[in-house]
Amino acid sequence: MQMSQSTLFSTCIFVLLVALTFATFSIGEAGMAGKYTMLILLAIAMIKSQMVAHYFMSLHQTRPLWRLIMLMYFVIVGGLIAVAYLIGLA
Amino acid sequence: MKYKSQAVAKLYFIAAIALFLGQIIFGLIMGLQYVVGDFLFPAIPFNVARMVHTNLLIVWLLFGFMGASYYLIPEETETELFSPKLAIITFWVFLAAGVLTILGYLLVPYAALAKMTGNDLLNTMGREFLEQPLPTKVGIVLVALSWLFNITMTMLKGRKTAISLVLTLGMLGLAVFFLFSFYDPVNLVKDKFYWWWVVHLWVEGVWELILGAMLAFVLIKVTGVDREVVEKWLYVIITMTLVTGIIGTGHHYYWIGAPAYWQWWGSIFSALEPIPFFMMTVFAFNMVNKRRREHPNKAATLWALGTSVMAFLGAGLWGFLHTLAPINYYAHGTQLTAAHGHLAFYGAYALVVLTMISYAMPILRGRAANPERAQIMEMWAFWLMTVSMFFITLFLTGAGIVQIWLQRLSSTPMSFMAVQDQISIFYWAREGAGIVFLIGLTLYIRSFFVKGESKAFE
Amino acid sequence: MQTTNMISVKESSLEKIEYQNLPGDFALWIFIFAEMLVFGVLFIAYAFSRAQNVALFNDSQLTLNRGFGAINTVILITSSYFVVRGVAAIKKDLTHQCAYWLSGALVLGSVFVGIKMVEFYEKFNAGISMSTNNFYMFYLSLTFFHLMHVLMGMVILATIIARTRRGAYSAKQHTGVETGASFWHMVDFLWIILFPLVYVIR
Repeated sequence: MQMSQSTLFSTCIFVLLVALTFATFSIGEAGMAGKYTMLILLAIAMIKSQMVAHYFMSLHQTRPLWRLIMLMYFVIVGGLIAVAYLIGLA
Repeated sequence: MKYKSQAVAKLYFIAAIALFLGQIIFGLIMGLQYVVGDFLFPAIPFNVARMVHTNLLIVWLLFGFMGASYYLIPEETETELFSPKLAIITFWVFLAAGVLTILGYLLVPYAALAKMTGNDLLNTMGREFLEQPLPTKVGIVLVALSWLFNITMTMLKGRKTAISLVLTLGMLGLAVFFLFSFYDPVNLVKDKFYWWWVVHLWVEGVWELILGAMLAFVLIKVTGVDREVVEKWLYVIITMTLVTGIIGTGHHYYWIGAPAYWQWWGSIFSALEPIPFFMMTVFAFNMVNKRRREHPNKAATLWALGTSVMAFLGAGLWGFLHTLAPINYYAHGTQLTAAHGHLAFYGAYALVVLTMISYAMPILRGRAANPERAQIMEMWAFWLMTVSMFFITLFLTGAGIVQIWLQRLSSTPMSFMAVQDQISIFYWAREGAGIVFLIGLTLYIRSFFVKGESKAFE
Repeated sequence: MQTTNMISVKESSLEKIEYQNLPGDFALWIFIFAEMLVFGVLFIAYAFSRAQNVALFNDSQLTLNRGFGAINTVILITSSYFVVRGVAAIKKDLTHQCAYWLSGALVLGSVFVGIKMVEFYEKFNAGISMSTNNFYMFYLSLTFFHLMHVLMGMVILATIIARTRRGAYSAKQHTGVETGASFWHMVDFLWIILFPLVYVIR
């Protein structure tokens, strides 16, 4: 079966998402914890979500307003979660 | 009027307005009793006045909902009502039951009334808002079933639209959840737990479906916007309403002995309850801005927009003020609750019924819209009632905040009655605003009798 | 002369950036944003509640089955990818292919539900409930609330598959497919945040 350009692209995104999920899982299995692990895991999660929203939901073709709302959502939610974890560490 | 059977709505609307007037008069009596404790004592003690005030509210709103649906459903389903005769019989039964119940409250001591009406057989009386004697409760169930039956049968033989579907769903919920008023466990925690299944799930759940359907109906009529667009909004709004409203019941379970997780569930979901109300406001203004026709009934449009704004303020914003568990810890059961209750009931439910009446009544009287002069008077009534109710809310909010401060936050807390003395100035101001409200209501009723050249149908 | 030039430049630059509308029905997008808000508030509440009792959250987190969580993540990502392929197919009028891709997503959705059920069964068997402690309260609330969304998404997908089979959609008219797809992707990316938050990060 021949893949079109856009199909090939979304397949790459899919592979990347699975790889990042595996990374998250491995970090968990390795029992890693602490400030930097937390920030890395959170960043991975937000990047993955952003990729789904951007490419799977095709937000990248829409007006900047919608992309901004989506991006701000991940930044704010991710940021506040990070703040809460840092408070917990202190 | 497109369908003959819609005429039954008129009876219901007239009864609703008459009972509304009664509610306001008892509100004023009670408002005065807040500051002049022995006013009308012993003829009408405070607890009786309060019972009459709140019960009349519920009954006139139910009359309004029923009248509105008897008007709305034939037009939506494009067929005559299944049985106009049943609707008329139901009306008289409900009115008689309502009047007898109120007379019972006023003329017989409550305990004696309980004994007379068989409360020993099945204990259901004595709970706030559900004070009705057993026969009245059974009557309400029968009336609701007859209403539901009539509407459902009409819908089955006619066109099925999203509006009529949502309305019927709301009515079904109303009937089902009322059944919990018959369940009164001895355990106080359980008692309160299920009491909210009627009270909360009515006003923050199924009634909102009725509200949404009625508002959508009037907006389609006065703006001429595509039904498809309106229906889509309606679906989104009611889904959000149900998600936040049902789980939001938890905001009543904080301090009554229910499990602690309700503090999280209740706080989070009820904090989001304003969202559907906000959507409703955006929706209403959006529709009016995109209107495809200039409906001669300007007053109805004003009532509809007013509903969407005041419902958001009263139910949404004032509810949010004290819904989070850490705040509610200090705020529950104060005048802040009363403030929220007044603006929410007026903004969401009183106004939506008045919107329907404003739109339907001229048509039921054989014209597209009332004469210019009558409409202007009606709009004055809208502003007088709405602004004065907003002030009632502000004064009660002030009273509530001072009450929380003196009674609960202060390092030397005062007793309940001592605090009541301190905040009497707010009660006086509230009574003043209440009188303005009565003037507005009188003007509203007068507007029905203004003569002049009325607008014919196009 | 100059003004006409400027206008034409402006017009052509407007032509270049041609944004598409949000995929699917706009009313559903309002709903999606509202749902994101609900989940966002829940995620943040979890994090701040954890900050008050880190040890309890860390200990309880160890009892969760991280493997189930990870497998479910891959399942949802894959199903999301299938949905992307389904939308691409209907844009080329490939009705049958669209239905196959979407059915694949639906099957994966039910696998997700199955795994979730096993997970819940284990926890309830171990005597864990919402009242056990704050961590389990959040774990059960978040995953259950998300599960409800998976089920709702599956109902939507099933409806769309049936309509696709009946030929209701085409390359020109496929708003319905995109609407369902957008909802399913939302269910996916919310889980993508939920999984590390509740199962991994400590």
